[in-house]
Amino acid sequence: MEPILTFEQVTKHYPNGVHALQGISLSIQPGEFISVIGPSGSGKSTLLRAINQLIPISSGRVLLDGADVSAQKGRALRSTRCKVGMIFQNYNLVYRLSVLQNALHGRLGHMRGAAGIFGLYTEADKARAIALLEELGLGSFCYNRAGDLSGGQKQRVGIARAIMQDPKLLLCDEPIASLDPSSAKTIMDILRGMTKQRGIACVVNLHQVDVAIKYSTRIIGLSKGSIVFDGAPEALTDEVIERIYNTSRENLMMGGKADEEAYSANFAV
Amino acid sequence: MKKRIPQISPSERRMYGAFFCVIVVLFALCTAYTRFSPLELVQNSDNFWAFLREDFLPPAIPGAAKVENIINSIFVTVAMALAATTTAAILAFFVSLFGSESVSPFPKMAKVVRGFAAFLRNIPALVWAFILFSSLGIGTGVGVVALCITSFAFMVRAFAETMEDISQDCIESLQAVGASFPQRVAHGVLPSCLSGFLSWYLYCIEVNIRASTIVGMVGGGGVGLVLFSYIKSFRYNVACSIILLIAAMVIAVDLVTGRLRGELAK
Ligand SMILES: Nc1ncnc2c1ncn2[C@@H]1O[C@H](COP(=O)(O)OP(=O)(O)OP(=O)(O)O)[C@@H](O)[C@H]1O
Ligand SMILES: [Mg+2]
Repeated sequence: MEPILTFEQVTKHYPNGVHALQGISLSIQPGEFISVIGPSGSGKSTLLRAINQLIPISSGRVLLDGADVSAQKGRALRSTRCKVGMIFQNYNLVYRLSVLQNALHGRLGHMRGAAGIFGLYTEADKARAIALLEELGLGSFCYNRAGDLSGGQKQRVGIARAIMQDPKLLLCDEPIASLDPSSAKTIMDILRGMTKQRGIACVVNLHQVDVAIKYSTRIIGLSKGSIVFDGAPEALTDEVIERIYNTSRENLMMGGKADEEAYSANFAV
Repeated sequence: MKKRIPQISPSERRMYGAFFCVIVVLFALCTAYTRFSPLELVQNSDNFWAFLREDFLPPAIPGAAKVENIINSIFVTVAMALAATTTAAILAFFVSLFGSESVSPFPKMAKVVRGFAAFLRNIPALVWAFILFSSLGIGTGVGVVALCITSFAFMVRAFAETMEDISQDCIESLQAVGASFPQRVAHGVLPSCLSGFLSWYLYCIEVNIRASTIVGMVGGGGVGLVLFSYIKSFRYNVACSIILLIAAMVIAVDLVTGRLRGELAK
């Protein structure tokens, strides 16, 4: 099968001298559910954003559905981005707008001219968005302000927005990092179910190794900007995990040390 | 002797000390240079109080025709402020989109836009008024333009900062769905920042009500000009009533805008 996404020797150097990605090559088939794991600062977010060029790469090529995204600009880039749904840790909703309006934002990439600017969505789109929100258990919240929802509900709106795009690929940057365990499970179940049902390939950045093993069809381990593991969840042995995280598996599974390190790394600015 | 434990670092302490000394020296120098002396002020205060008592008070009310004239001039001043602020806000909105690094399609140009705005803003409205009156002649319209320039520059800066604060995240998500620049503005920036924009707009109205009185004095018309003509013809009692009226106008506008801003903040 034709891969939906191909990375060819992609590197990313930030202007401050950080080499966030160092020669990444990989390819992703339709229908795959891939988790990217790795310690904080290993380049997971950068990798994900390089896929739809939210972060421009320094060298190499990114091929999305046959098109070279890294060379695209303007309208061509926008219509490629439109094929890629994205879900964020902080939900990134427009909090002043209604849940329905936020879900409909997924259609903007398909709209041109005044209709797109003034938000004149078709009745069919609106009906589909409402049906989708109902499927996600948000039927009665369509006209609530997005800012008034709980974290788990906000993330479901984020999923609705991404699915409304009719994407071929779904990117999720730590979709459950700000959620409690039960909402996290709901969100992962929804992501797995929706992508399977629609045949969408999915790339998820995760901090939780056990979640990655439970849901993915393939796991990519990232360390200091390089891929150190790429294979089936069953092949993710303790030694491999230790190699990815530079710490023992017990520390990770107790949810203690590694999380703390990630935490202090984030705040030690 | 036991050494006391300092609460702030010695370098910080030296900095505050130096800062304090510089302030004192500067004050002394400036006082000498401008021959400003607080004592002289106290000595001459008799003159000032006599002027207030005899010439200024009590506030007098001129004839009915004049009263109508004055009331009208108040409305002219308020209208000038409103017209200038509104025009400036609309222009500033479009320009500020290019002055915010996170929103602008040309982030590298953002600094240039903000620098240009800062340049315009650092020239006070009164100076703009003089420049424009000298080149275009006096009149209410020209006064509005003078007010407009400063508030435009101010709001470009304020709007750009509002956008910088609020919309980073939702801009990113709209970029990810493939939305174009106008779509990102209409669906991400505007809904998130509108109340912030309106709040700055109301603040600018408050500022411009005061400024339009001053600009009026030097040729912009309105209540400022009326006040100035009474002062020039030594009719201080009437001038006093007009000053009270201006104070009432400013307070009334502040009350209304303050109330609206409170509502917006909710
Ligand atoms: N905008 C930026 N400018 C400069 N350096 C950056 C920028 N964004 C990320 N970096 C650096 O690039 C490296 C990779 O960052 P990235 O955000 O991709 O890590 P991550 O794996 O997503 O981490 P986390 O798990 O904490 O989210 C880090 O060293 C980070 O400091
Ligand atoms: Mg990250």
